Amino acid sequence: MSNCDNNCGDCNLSAHKSTNEMYARTTKMGIPTIFDRWEDQQPQCGFGMQGVCCQLCSHGPCRITQKAERAICGATADTIVARNLVRLASHGAAAYSHHLEEIAKTLKATAQGKTPYKIGDVAKLRTIAGVVGLDNTKSAEELAIALADIILAEMRKGSDEPLALLNLFAPETRKQAWRKLGIIPGGLLSEIRDAMTKTMSNIDTDPVDLLLTAVRLSLATGYMGLVGTITLQDILLGTPELVKSQADLGIIDLETVNIVAHGHVPLVATAVLQAINDPEIQKLAKAAGAKGIKVYGSMCTGQELMQRSATSSQGFSGQLSNWLSQEYYVATGAVELVMMDMNCSIPGLKTVADQFHTKLISVDKVLRMEGVDHLDYEPEKVADQAKQLIKMAIELYKKRGTNIHIPPYKADVVAGFGVETIANALGGSLEPLLDAVKSGAIKGIAAVVGCTNNRNGHDHKALTIMREFIKNNVLVISAGCTSSAAQIEGLMDPTAAQLCGESLKAVCQSLGIPPILNFGSCVDIGRIGVAVTTIAGALGVDPSQLPVVASAPEYLEQKAIADGIFAVAFGLLTHIGPVPPVTGSAMVTKILTQDIEQLLGGRVLVEEDPVKATAIMVTHIDAKRKALGI
Amino acid sequence: MQHVIIGNSAAGVRAAETLRALDPEAKIIIIAEENHPAYSRCLLPDLLAGSRDELSLQIRSDDFYVKNNIQTLLGKKANSVDPVAHKVNLEGGSSVSYDKLLIATGAISFIPPMPGINNPNVFALRDLRDAKNILQAIEKARRIVIVGGGFVGLEAAYALYHRGLEVTIVEKMPHILPQQFDAQAAEILKRDMQAEGIRFILGRGIKEIAAPRLWGRLFGRPETGVILEDGERLKADVILISIGTRANIEVIKHTGILVNQGIPVNDFMETNLPDIYAAGDVAETKDAVTGKIGLTPIWPNASTQGRIAAYNMAGIKKAYTGLIGMQNAVEFREVPAIALGITQPVGDEYEILQDYRPDRNLYKKLVLRNNILVGMILVGRIEQAGIYGALIKKKQELKLSHQVLMRDDFSYGHLYPL
Amino acid sequence: MKQIMIDVNLCNGCLTCTLACSAAHSLSQEIVGAMSEKTPTRIKILPVKGRAVPLMCRHCEQPACVDACMTGAMQKDPCTGIVSNEGNDQTCVGCWMCIMACPYGAINQHPTEKVALKCDRCKDREIPSCVESCPNKALRFTEVNAFADERAINVAAALIAAD
Repeated sequence: MSNCDNNCGDCNLSAHKSTNEMYARTTKMGIPTIFDRWEDQQPQCGFGMQGVCCQLCSHGPCRITQKAERAICGATADTIVARNLVRLASHGAAAYSHHLEEIAKTLKATAQGKTPYKIGDVAKLRTIAGVVGLDNTKSAEELAIALADIILAEMRKGSDEPLALLNLFAPETRKQAWRKLGIIPGGLLSEIRDAMTKTMSNIDTDPVDLLLTAVRLSLATGYMGLVGTITLQDILLGTPELVKSQADLGIIDLETVNIVAHGHVPLVATAVLQAINDPEIQKLAKAAGAKGIKVYGSMCTGQELMQRSATSSQGFSGQLSNWLSQEYYVATGAVELVMMDMNCSIPGLKTVADQFHTKLISVDKVLRMEGVDHLDYEPEKVADQAKQLIKMAIELYKKRGTNIHIPPYKADVVAGFGVETIANALGGSLEPLLDAVKSGAIKGIAAVVGCTNNRNGHDHKALTIMREFIKNNVLVISAGCTSSAAQIEGLMDPTAAQLCGESLKAVCQSLGIPPILNFGSCVDIGRIGVAVTTIAGALGVDPSQLPVVASAPEYLEQKAIADGIFAVAFGLLTHIGPVPPVTGSAMVTKILTQDIEQLLGGRVLVEEDPVKATAIMVTHIDAKRKALGI
Repeated sequence: MQHVIIGNSAAGVRAAETLRALDPEAKIIIIAEENHPAYSRCLLPDLLAGSRDELSLQIRSDDFYVKNNIQTLLGKKANSVDPVAHKVNLEGGSSVSYDKLLIATGAISFIPPMPGINNPNVFALRDLRDAKNILQAIEKARRIVIVGGGFVGLEAAYALYHRGLEVTIVEKMPHILPQQFDAQAAEILKRDMQAEGIRFILGRGIKEIAAPRLWGRLFGRPETGVILEDGERLKADVILISIGTRANIEVIKHTGILVNQGIPVNDFMETNLPDIYAAGDVAETKDAVTGKIGLTPIWPNASTQGRIAAYNMAGIKKAYTGLIGMQNAVEFREVPAIALGITQPVGDEYEILQDYRPDRNLYKKLVLRNNILVGMILVGRIEQAGIYGALIKKKQELKLSHQVLMRDDFSYGHLYPL
Repeated sequence: MKQIMIDVNLCNGCLTCTLACSAAHSLSQEIVGAMSEKTPTRIKILPVKGRAVPLMCRHCEQPACVDACMTGAMQKDPCTGIVSNEGNDQTCVGCWMCIMACPYGAINQHPTEKVALKCDRCKDREIPSCVESCPNKALRFTEVNAFADERAINVAAALIAAD
């Protein structure tokens, strides 16, 4: 399991009761799952973990060892580590660009009347349209098409043509810092192309240039893949509103046809939620003996659906799990259909699904899995696709077996936070929040985001850090799998205010909000970016001066690498766990954890002990407060 | 210096070669009743199965005795010992003097007194002659009943099943391997053998061997068989009795040696008589787990005891440590199993950790007392046996959590100070 | 006598030694061939709390496995000191008594043949294959006292430096 040193017998694999219970079940049933495969892979190669293994050319795999200071081509550890990092960031950037493309195309098709969706936030559309230079008195449909075209063009333009979104939305002080380093990016796809070209063997072997490339790429990712995506999603599906929901496996209803939306892009699931109300569909469900049809979420798609479950995703039934526990919701035996999109559907899911009546299906043209069917999302066809998927699930419901186990745990959740909702909750502006920060009632803000990880604890680390922060009166905002973890443990319910330090407790209780605010999915790190930008603007300072930190305590995959570098580029102290594969290069490690602060205002903090890490970040927050004179 | 060793098996041979390594000059004489170079009786089932021939049962090379300058008196029975005159009296009248004497006479099969037991179709399995007799008897046999579901009985059962015989095992206790393994482990192993077609009758013993004359009179057929305690009859062409052994203490009767069930020895393998040592199945030593003095009739212990005895006979004081009485390793079809120490504890002071996965033929059981490991059963995966065994012998209070101890990948690495 | 000595702190779990061991005991005598022959490794890298601990037979001076062996196959060569159940007149039957006896768990069941499998210190090589292959010098084939003395000197040097 984790590499923790404690010898105590109390350690459970996961921080969540439901996951541990389900692991006992899969063990008994003889179904290997992720925790078992983790064990089988130990011990793992130290060269790989340090980032000093290069497999690019057929001379490899080269490792930098005591014996061999350089690879066969002459690459040093610094080159290999930096190059590997850029390649990982490129993956993340590419995946985000796929998500953005789907949204942009859908927005356009919706405006053309070809989809079952409606433009969800016309006001935002007009605002953004105005900012990008369109005549926002035109009709919403015209504006939506124009805006979508602009985004699609932005993605494709050359890397020497600076990104408009960055220009328009980034704080001036940030742009100055980036200009000085010559890393203002152009079109996202061009940046990805450049990065991939540079990281081919024997092209860019300068570790410093490679690191700058990674930062440049993260800026393009941040402003297109994050901010761009959430903005378009808000326009298309509606800006999130405060809403109550539920989380954990105990919400699975035995009497309904159960569909899970698993992934990142909420388009198909939104269409499915709409189609459920169709009288013909309802009749089919009843005929099969079910009381109805329910759609649950897993991971980011679940967060997207949850935060809009008062508007475009009404009827959403709640969040089941995050990345590590995906096999376990299938192992309940009570799930008919899993609709998978984009990333985070592990191949091991199929092994578990095969033990039950559960069917996996890809609803994304990039997602393919051996033995799994696909019904690739197309905006013009999604209304019918939704019906097809529901009918599939109804047929599967008839085949549901009797070997069912649903752990009886569920938690209440408040979701839908963002700049707009916070402002609305505070009476129309962020002033009360800023006052609370200035007065010290809220010491600072910590964005605890990202994945969940077997290597360092399946949510143990993330939850500990969140709890430590709120004990220290630091307000936490969360997005991604850490958000699901907090939801499952009841930390995103107003009752969690109990766990705070006194002043934060008072603030939360008076506002009736939880101390850990759900900003949504991985792309909603862009929403966090927008919030931080807004706060910095309101206070008239650069983001690096704010009493704000970022923490991705259990990062897993490549999108998270891009996110982490973006946070650093944004000027924030960025805590990352587990230790990323950079330690094989003293140079890269030093740059990321020390030197980069002078250049960008932010740096990477690596500290595996969650309590120590939080203490360091709180000290950092205190220092920022002092420097601001608050 | 003249060392005399009565016995030419595990303890005797190990003692002899150790003596030679320690003292290139001393005279070493092995006296043994069997007229064979030393062989492994543990391999006799392989002889029965036909997978080994007689020569391949030898535990040392052909030139072992010559190379080590060990004089052998094979095929000679030692009748008695004169501890005062320091002489061993052989059958036929001659005698051999000793400066140091090692009694390594092993054990003999226990044949219970019961009606019909002298039937010529009834066999034990202890030595080569037994095995050869059985081989001869089964040439025309079809059915064999094996009385005793312990280690020897099961090994023999499997061997004879491989020869094509119909095998029935009758065990008095509720489960097979009742001494070392518990019901759960026994269940996995029994199921494995049962799947092959070996029949088990558990919880019942036998009370009589049915003689051919009796059957012949009743049914006109010259068949042998056994009659169970409850009266049920089983037909059998050949019957193997494998319900245990008795220490072979015949030779030291009337010597004044302290005798229990075997010959108790002190930490240095010494009996209560000067210059006389005992090792192997005939000796009683202190069990590292229970602290009790008793027989530990198992090959590894016999071998170790022989080696330790040699040191002391050679004048180097060396105590034995860490001998565990209850231990065994088995594998019949594909499921290996190892048991060590106290595996079926009785009483409140024990803590039992179990991981029982019978559908995958896996079982791990650890028995602790005062947070010290005292017993272990492994079925299916046995690589950790030695590590748990070392913990049992060390008798240290465990610093590891029970969770770590029970891990599938628990290894020496967890004990190594990282 | 030379022994394979392990410096646990230098091992980073790259598993190269396991590949080299397989290769050395295979027919093809090289890594890729050994993988298709499925030659098992005799050295183990044990995962413990995120660290990698190499382990192979210690070729003990008083081997418990030799005592335990009931066929006489397991022997300690008086010249080389190597403990092995291979290459002797007596053959291993896979009774697993040695596995029961070894306190290191250094002996395993062979994955396909019914025999016990353990390190043979590469009888036919000048330097054991695992030692040769380790990129971190975590495995050394050295006189035991030399290893101990070197470590003592290193500790002493560190103590002086700390002053």
